[in-house]
Amino acid sequence: MESISRPSLSFWQDAWRRLKKNKAAMFGLTLIILYGLLSILAPMFSQYTQSQMDASARSQMMSSAHWLGTDSTGRDLWVRIWMGGRVSLSIGLIAAVVNMCVGAVIGGLCGFYGGKLDMIVMRIVDILYGIPSLIITILVVMVLGKGIAPLIIAMCVVGWIGTCRFVRGEVYRIKEQDFVLAAKVLGIPDFKIIVKHIIPNILGMLITNLCMAIPGAIFQEAFLSYVGLGVTPPNCSWGVICKEGIAYLRNSPHQVLIPAFFVCTTMLALNLLGNGLRDAVDPKLRGTE
Amino acid sequence: MRKYIFKRVIAAIVTVWVLITVVFFLVRLMPGDPFTNPKLTPEVRENMESYYGFDKPLIVQYGNYMVNLLKGDFGYSMKFTNKTVAGIIGETFPFSADLGIRSLVLAVSIGLVLGIVSARNRGKGIDFFCVIVAVLGTSIPDFIMGAVLQYGFGIKWGLLPVARYEGIEYTILPACALAFYTLASVSRIMRASMLEVASQDYIKTARSKGLGEFRITAKHQIRNAIMPVMTVMGPTVASVLTGTFVIESIFAIPGMGKHYVDSVSNNDYSMVLGMTLFYGVFLIICNLVVDILYGVADPRVRIGER
Amino acid sequence: MKKRLIASILTVAMAASLLAGCGVPKSESSSGESGDSGASGEKVFRFSTRTEPTTLDPSKGNCIPDTELQNALTERLVRNVKGEVKEGIAEKWEVSDDGLVYTFHLRDAKWSDGEPITAENFVYSWRRLMDPATAAPFAYIGEYIKNGRAVETGEMKPEELAVKAIDDKTLEVTLEHPTAYFLSMMGLSSLFAPLRQDIVEEYGKDFAADAEKNVYSGPYVLTSSANQKWIFEPNENYWDRDSIKLDRAEMSYVQNQSTALAMYEDGELDFSEIPSADAPNYEGQDESYRNGNVDYFYYNCDSENEAMKNIDFRLALNYAIDRNSYNELVNNGMFAPSSSLVFSGLSGVEKTYGEESTLEGYPMDGDEAKAKEHLEKALGALGKKASDITVTITTTDSESAKKQAEVCQEMWKTTLGINVEVNQVTYAETLNRQASGEYEIAWGGWGADYDDPYTYLELFKSDSPYNYSKYKNDEVDKLLTATQTETDVQKRMDMLHEVEQILIDEAAFFPQAEREVHYLVDDDVQGLNFFHCSINLDWVYADIVE
Repeated sequence: MESISRPSLSFWQDAWRRLKKNKAAMFGLTLIILYGLLSILAPMFSQYTQSQMDASARSQMMSSAHWLGTDSTGRDLWVRIWMGGRVSLSIGLIAAVVNMCVGAVIGGLCGFYGGKLDMIVMRIVDILYGIPSLIITILVVMVLGKGIAPLIIAMCVVGWIGTCRFVRGEVYRIKEQDFVLAAKVLGIPDFKIIVKHIIPNILGMLITNLCMAIPGAIFQEAFLSYVGLGVTPPNCSWGVICKEGIAYLRNSPHQVLIPAFFVCTTMLALNLLGNGLRDAVDPKLRGTE
Repeated sequence: MRKYIFKRVIAAIVTVWVLITVVFFLVRLMPGDPFTNPKLTPEVRENMESYYGFDKPLIVQYGNYMVNLLKGDFGYSMKFTNKTVAGIIGETFPFSADLGIRSLVLAVSIGLVLGIVSARNRGKGIDFFCVIVAVLGTSIPDFIMGAVLQYGFGIKWGLLPVARYEGIEYTILPACALAFYTLASVSRIMRASMLEVASQDYIKTARSKGLGEFRITAKHQIRNAIMPVMTVMGPTVASVLTGTFVIESIFAIPGMGKHYVDSVSNNDYSMVLGMTLFYGVFLIICNLVVDILYGVADPRVRIGER
Repeated sequence: MKKRLIASILTVAMAASLLAGCGVPKSESSSGESGDSGASGEKVFRFSTRTEPTTLDPSKGNCIPDTELQNALTERLVRNVKGEVKEGIAEKWEVSDDGLVYTFHLRDAKWSDGEPITAENFVYSWRRLMDPATAAPFAYIGEYIKNGRAVETGEMKPEELAVKAIDDKTLEVTLEHPTAYFLSMMGLSSLFAPLRQDIVEEYGKDFAADAEKNVYSGPYVLTSSANQKWIFEPNENYWDRDSIKLDRAEMSYVQNQSTALAMYEDGELDFSEIPSADAPNYEGQDESYRNGNVDYFYYNCDSENEAMKNIDFRLALNYAIDRNSYNELVNNGMFAPSSSLVFSGLSGVEKTYGEESTLEGYPMDGDEAKAKEHLEKALGALGKKASDITVTITTTDSESAKKQAEVCQEMWKTTLGINVEVNQVTYAETLNRQASGEYEIAWGGWGADYDDPYTYLELFKSDSPYNYSKYKNDEVDKLLTATQTETDVQKRMDMLHEVEQILIDEAAFFPQAEREVHYLVDDDVQGLNFFHCSINLDWVYADIVE
């Protein structure tokens, strides 16, 4: 008997091995880690605080005193960007991931079992989607008060629906395919089919979806902070800085372009990483170079 | 198929009824009332409350509202006091729908092309370009995109009108601003979906039959790959056509997006319900169409049947 | 096969809807390209409003845009132009010696449809305003008329309102108190405009639903109100037609201020306000007026926060605000810093209220030493450290309100070392919390309803519906009540000054700024009037001069 020359690797080990070879993905990963570190460290080593105002240094361009300039109340943007990064990166990621998990589980069940369950859940989805989101947000604040948990809840009440519909559609498609049918015929339990066959097949699409959901979450946080959820002044987030800066688009565009730049580059990094991950976990590409 | 559609229509009616009922009671839970004016005296407030029947028990008000609704009467707005809700929707919807259709055409056509092209040229320069477009589209929010387009094309270079909606050239900037996000997401999903389909057996079969790459892509791959795009398009179509607050505000378009947000913050109950009903019906129709199209596009899928 | 059919039908339907959508350019308004005045020789004034008017019914107006709109469409007994009371439909009038009975003699004026305007039209309109069944949001303004309040609450029939048509051309009104500013107020407000019973009853609930469902008594008629654009044309039957120079005026609803400015620069508007962010670009080109709005914070006298009840603590908060820096930080220096409540530009006895005032307010630059001194006293009385004290500012969800709170938060934190939290909620909820007393410090702002200091000072009268801070001071109440019956103008004004001084000494509120509107206007537009209450922009007499 010949021994198999390829070392036996687990699914994730294999994914990681392939991810490492993807230069773009590694660039993305590095950038995200860099932003994360700067968010933690940069504010500690600055002479300014995020709330310190200066009436004589309003809306200034980048300089040696203020690396990224100042906003309309003379606050240092370098510090605010990284203080805001703490909020935006964590909330954006948490909310998007929670949304994705909830949506994927519900959507997956609906898609896999179909029938009555699907019909009822989808009608509930229609109703939730139909309720103006502002009403839901205001009511969540009223009932749950302030803080990170109510914030995440407010973002997730309807946030999971997109993923749910999406996953449901995908599962519908995949469950009719030969390999799933084959597994069913072989009497493999549903749970195992879902984990082993269906999830790996939609993981790529899910990651793509997740990458697109994060900026939405970042800006939704900014919107929520205006009705009392999310961060409260003097704290800030990237979305809040963008909103504060947009009025100054003509006069000192850096106030909105800088936070937008950081959101964009984060998204670029996540997209590159996401593409890499997608390829890395694609079962059909497994074992290939 | 016919039986399935019939079932769905029945379900849709029930859904709309539940939606309206839920929203009817939810808006009443919100803090404040429709009379948001710091200068209102208690006497006047009382008069206004009885004028709108708020002094009756909530359940009676609900009954009255539903009876009127069945007669096709949406009632009068409580903020724009001498306009009917139906009148406001009738006046504003054409603008939102017109803008929405333009931006959807733009977004879907370009988005699909970008998605297909980048999937076919995976890892090459054009693919990276598409990533950049998608990143810009998804991560620049509409309030920045709209303002930048308006400033650049409208003011700085003076190529296009800056605002209002009074002719074909007025529609270009807002439609582009609105299209960007959808375009980006369509292109991303299409790319991912194309890649997934590419490794399926029937594509391999087609290839082994000696079909040309172009024919494979055109005939088999796209048709199968487009389905996930359709799923996201359902709600997107509904929300884009019924107006977007930010873009309409930046470009001073007399659409209905403003009412969707303002009616809630003004506690304009009848308006909130009218908008919810309108949007809800729209959404349910869009989702129904998507589900049906699913069955049409992929012969193996039978949604709703086990 | 069947599926194919459905698919193709859907495709065709979708394609058809696309074409339909793209084929319809939306310029339903009569003036697609509202060209500049030059081309056709037509005199057109184009401007925008940031807030959409809520109604076209003259009796139901409840905000500045409503009043401004009606100012052009309705004619009252008198017309208030920039604070000056001029003849309107009344040619002359007499006031009884006790200041209670006004007799107006009407001129031969006509409605836009040619019918004569009679005294009966006023009687009908005022009764309708006060009738509870109308539910006019601003009906309280009719409480100045005798029996007004009783009619409003339903205790009396509308017919018992003390307004009488002696004959077609003579109207007699009896007031509750001698009200010094009655004529001035009436001249500003469309709530006192005449109405045609036949028209109102013909359309019922749809009265004034759009431009066609009404007739007009004022200098202009409304020819269109569709698509968030209001088009005015001169009323050929207006009694003072010769003073009206424009051929048309167009008001668009443009909510976003930067957009309005962009439209002005693009030549699509003849007048635009300047958002504070863009102020530096227009230095020297802009003009400005103060619109009578004052920005301040309330404090809740019933709040459970012990510190807020301490007068020294409140004084410390007031002295800690550097109002000049505040103005730079919050409004880009566009407003005017203020340390008092009453808008300084109101009419006084001879000069403006501000010029006659001998008020001792807080220094505009703040006073850190004094703030700390008061804080020490307060801390002694409370037995607390500064860092143990937390106050919360409740404010609205607007960007400017947020900035306002942030700046005060920062100043109070750094100067006094206390903790300050900012709580943003929706506008409706802010008002709700003010009314129910669920706040410690809250956003506040007030504009004048009529040209008299009472309109501001009433906020601190204990039985006023507007007393959002639940403030109660017997001296203030006594003085304010006395001003309602005092007929000596100078004495009355002195009392009002005294009330304001008490409020400041007691630190009953935290004044910040008076709003100043900076605007751009085309060189060829002349005759715009600006005023600080009810009607900010009065364009009725505008003219386009080449």
